[in-house]
Amino acid sequence: MKKLWIILIISMLVLTGCWDQRQFKNVKLALSIGLDEGENGALNETVSIPTVRGGGEGNIEERIEILSSDARTVLDARNQIDRMISHSFNPSKMEVLLVGEELAHKDIYPLLDNFYRNPNSNLNTHLAIAEGTAREVIEFKNTGEIRISEYLKGILEGAEAASRTTGENLQMICAELVEEGEDFTLPIIARDDEEDTLKFNGLGLMDGKRYTGEKISAEQAPLLMLMTGRKGRTAQLTKKVNEGQEEPILDYITVEVMKFKNDLKINPGKNEVKVDLTLDLDVRVMEYPHDHLVSDKMIKDLNKKLTEILTAEAEEIISITQEANSDVFSIGRRIHAYHPKEWESLDPKKMYQDIQFNPEVNVKIQQHGIVN
Amino acid sequence: MSSQKNLKLSRRQYFFLIIQSQIGVGIIALPFDLHSAAKQDGWISLLMAGMLITVLMFFLWLLAKKYPDKDYFQIQEYVLSRWGGKAFSVLYIGYFACVGILILLLYSRMISLWVLPNTPYWILSLMMVAICIYIVCGDIIIMGRLYTMFSGFLIFMVGLILYSGKDSKLIYLFPIAADGWGGIFAGIDKGIISFLGFILALVVYSVVDGNSKDKLKTIIYAQLTVLFFYLSIVFVTFTFFSTKEIALVSEPVLYMLKSYQFPIVARIDLFFISMWMIFVTTSLSTYLYMAGLGTRRVLQKKNNPFIILLVGALFYLLSLFIGFDIAKLEKFSNFVVKGGYIFSMGLPLLILFISLFRKSPKKENAV
Amino acid sequence: MGFFKDFLQKQQRTDRRIADESAEPQEPSTRSLSDNINYILTAFKRTEDLKVRILKKGEAALLYFESLVDQEKVQLSIFNPVEIGKVDSIHAIPNAKESTNLEEAIKSLLRGHAVYLEEGSRQISLFNVTSVFNRSVEEPANEKVVRGSHDGFVENIMININLLRKRIEHRDLKVKLYKVGKKTNTNVAIIYMEGLADPEIVLNMQKRVETIDSEMIQSPGYVEEFIEDSPWSPFPQMLNTERPDRVVANLMEGRIALFTEGSPTCLVAPATFFMFYQAPDDYNTRWYTGTFIRLIRLASFIIAIGLPAFYIAVVSFHFEVIPDDLITPVKASINEIAYPPVVEALVMVVIIELIREAGIRLPSPVGQTIGIVGGLVIGDAVVRAGLISNIMVIVIALTAIASFVVPSNELSTSLRLLTFPLICLSATLGFVGLIFGFLLITVHLTKLESYGVPYFAPVAPLRLTDLKDTFVRFPIFMMKKRPKDAHPMDYKAMGESREWKKNEQSKKS
Repeated sequence: MKKLWIILIISMLVLTGCWDQRQFKNVKLALSIGLDEGENGALNETVSIPTVRGGGEGNIEERIEILSSDARTVLDARNQIDRMISHSFNPSKMEVLLVGEELAHKDIYPLLDNFYRNPNSNLNTHLAIAEGTAREVIEFKNTGEIRISEYLKGILEGAEAASRTTGENLQMICAELVEEGEDFTLPIIARDDEEDTLKFNGLGLMDGKRYTGEKISAEQAPLLMLMTGRKGRTAQLTKKVNEGQEEPILDYITVEVMKFKNDLKINPGKNEVKVDLTLDLDVRVMEYPHDHLVSDKMIKDLNKKLTEILTAEAEEIISITQEANSDVFSIGRRIHAYHPKEWESLDPKKMYQDIQFNPEVNVKIQQHGIVN
Repeated sequence: MSSQKNLKLSRRQYFFLIIQSQIGVGIIALPFDLHSAAKQDGWISLLMAGMLITVLMFFLWLLAKKYPDKDYFQIQEYVLSRWGGKAFSVLYIGYFACVGILILLLYSRMISLWVLPNTPYWILSLMMVAICIYIVCGDIIIMGRLYTMFSGFLIFMVGLILYSGKDSKLIYLFPIAADGWGGIFAGIDKGIISFLGFILALVVYSVVDGNSKDKLKTIIYAQLTVLFFYLSIVFVTFTFFSTKEIALVSEPVLYMLKSYQFPIVARIDLFFISMWMIFVTTSLSTYLYMAGLGTRRVLQKKNNPFIILLVGALFYLLSLFIGFDIAKLEKFSNFVVKGGYIFSMGLPLLILFISLFRKSPKKENAV
Repeated sequence: MGFFKDFLQKQQRTDRRIADESAEPQEPSTRSLSDNINYILTAFKRTEDLKVRILKKGEAALLYFESLVDQEKVQLSIFNPVEIGKVDSIHAIPNAKESTNLEEAIKSLLRGHAVYLEEGSRQISLFNVTSVFNRSVEEPANEKVVRGSHDGFVENIMININLLRKRIEHRDLKVKLYKVGKKTNTNVAIIYMEGLADPEIVLNMQKRVETIDSEMIQSPGYVEEFIEDSPWSPFPQMLNTERPDRVVANLMEGRIALFTEGSPTCLVAPATFFMFYQAPDDYNTRWYTGTFIRLIRLASFIIAIGLPAFYIAVVSFHFEVIPDDLITPVKASINEIAYPPVVEALVMVVIIELIREAGIRLPSPVGQTIGIVGGLVIGDAVVRAGLISNIMVIVIALTAIASFVVPSNELSTSLRLLTFPLICLSATLGFVGLIFGFLLITVHLTKLESYGVPYFAPVAPLRLTDLKDTFVRFPIFMMKKRPKDAHPMDYKAMGESREWKKNEQSKKS
């Protein structure tokens, strides 16, 4: 009897059809999406859709459609695109989401709402700011790679590996987006028409949900990442340590960070918050054409120089962030967490700019490659 | 069959029965519920709720120990006299049915939200009820075996959750108790709900092998295991999401897993929700079993698949009245949660109290 | 309810046995030779291979089935003694069986005996002169091992028992013989270790064999359906094997073996699911290898029943699950396919089954050709024609291979059958349906019992010590206890077998 009704149920299921079927072959995957500000407050959405064909037979041929539309909301734009393409538009495997510079100056949360709300969306997506417009970036043709999405993703993942960005995906940004006293950075992608490439062009500083327009340059980005306690697979710093050598190239040293330790000490005073930021770096010399790294003195000298230079640079970075009022060190949240009383007397919006920072970077050369 | 007729549950099976009955529909939304009441201190509420339940379990054990060869319904009949007991039993059947229906509703809603947005309610719940009837048509021993086996998935779930712990920031747990203890106490209420399956420990106590002391140990261990499982979930989600953000996502566990991608598969949440379905099945089966057992005791019938089928069909048909309707669901859920206090805590303690004035049972020949 | 059923059946059975015994035909022989011969000839409907040799100038006759007896044996055991002069008459030959019941003579004639009758005497002498044609005890083709014994059971039940007795030289090995099948009178043997096998299960099995009320018994598969617990279950509840070493190992675990005359297959009960995944090879290799191979085999269970369903659920419901780097290759391969993935899968599964079935029945050279034509040519063409995506071909081929990994043919076929409902479920509800399907199967496996023994032991009910020989194979000296699932009466399988090591160490120090 039991078996009978199990069979009955199964057959019923088979007969009743499939409500939620979404055949994979019937969707058009949007792998990268760009959002720009259109005219009169409209939204301009650019998507790249690869069309693959010739599956069974060796080479996969691929065509990329780049569509763009003006609309009021993200979904509205998507619907307009949907009308332009065969089959249905699907962003659930989106790899990169670009927001144009201008649009990023406004609140970006409304743009992301749909991505957070839809259970099918891919939250493991890279979010970046496009210098100029996102459309220009996505329409970039000479990728070398097959797809623009792959190219963009590659740039961003490379930047993460080299500790130039946080590597945070859409989901992890959300926490910092909505939380008070915590800000974040977004990688900036720029189109370089002279060289005909796209490139990672620094970290855009966010204030709350807006892009401030200030950025940390790509050269300084690794140091900022280290200061916030993040390190990708490698972190290289190239600094000028000598003056007036015969060849300019001899002035520079490149080191790679082997180990680092960062420490934030927050002393919330009555009127003033003091923060001691210490960063200890154990580095390995990667390039130093000047050579002669034999003597202890030489290395100590270099240590000292690097310490000075990097401390100065750290100060510079901090002043940029303070100018942008972008609390990338989540100092506000820390004060809230560990000094809730002091927090109440502070203005969460403005407090970051008034913080007294005291950065200190200590560098120690531990290895210098296989030649002296 | 013959050699299995009089098998008793082993203590290991008892342990997993208790665990599986408690871990169910709630785990996905538990952090959100706690957070909505107690903010970042929700874990304290949970800890307190867990302790409270553990103490309560001790009292239930006292009651069960007094009548070691009677199940809960028989105890009611014995303590409250025949008709009083029957009336209580009927109330209990109603309560178990309500909880069962609530589980069914919540489960279908979750699947509809996360996986199959267009599939109608009746099919999702029908499948679930069918499986549960199939499980319960066996015996409690079959359920014990199944639950023990399914508990293997707990390891996977814990593994997945701990994996997402790598991106957690401890800072989000602070400040502790900033908004006073009011919220934390309010959170206890939310915490207790997630433990409500514990009444099973009392219901099946009589068919478990072993002396009462060992059984108590088993109960306590099971309770602590569940507590630790919940705590790990709550800790990881609370530290993964920022305090403000968690208020936005009502199923933080799934949401957290959604943002990860392994080299082989993406969208871990889909796998998690699939595993979670197994736990829903077990806890629904438990309620179906208890409702079925009650019905059997009231009607004084032997183990009969027909009764289970009937009760299961009742679960299903009644749940159709609510379906995906969120407003009705909210009301119903509030109603059931209130009932939970009465039926899982109030009445057992009342019966325990009354039984103090009753003599211990004589050795009866036939029960 | 079950109790009443049992009760009723028991009554019926006892009734019938009594009836049968009373109906045992008795026909006393007469003193007239011709009457006797006549009676026998009529009983056999004057079949023409029944030879009647008239001896002593018509005073006596020797009857036998020419087709059943060995002429040399007739010469050797009947005529030689007389010719040598050891005995006076054939009646006096000592190895003859005496009887006065003609019905008995008829029965023994069928067994290949020769019947000697004399005028004026009621005495009937029966001589065993059966001719036996046996093939050699070769290794069964479907249960080959790399290392280990290479003999297998044959069609003769006695040789089979001989193979077992040679391996278990112990007085506890007990054989019970039954004649089953009213017309065919097939020999059925139940073999077990007395004092090791659970008497309740033995009794149960005997009861079930005795109740078989069929005119014909053909093979163990036939018997199996009569005596297994849940004939509606897709899973085989008795282990089929043709390997003596496998049977011996199971007997020593306290299980019961059942042989049928005329078939080399032996049934072993009570069986558990995981027994079907143990192969004798596991115990002949190093235990690491054994463990590894066994894990692969168990993984093949999941692949065999779940992979196509999983793939379908992914491509028609949850393609988000495909990781980023794989998404375009997968999309490219299925983009141009005309049919939905369910149809693809079903077509492909059916094609594989066709190829397999065609290959089995044909002589091996032709079978190979079929395999090549079917597998390579069709597989390739079907992809080129754009009927089926190449990923689907990979999935289904993997599934087929995985299902063949199971050491038992029975289970392997069941597994391939189980794919279908799972495919349907996942094509309607995606992962949710798949989980329901798996739940259904596991619940069924847990509920299933083979002779009162849980089928899914030692996983459900969980018994950690028995897992030593389930998912993994521990070194043999560590498996000191017999698995509990067979309900052996004595759990101890061995003592401390590596005592010598301790002795050596103590000597050294």
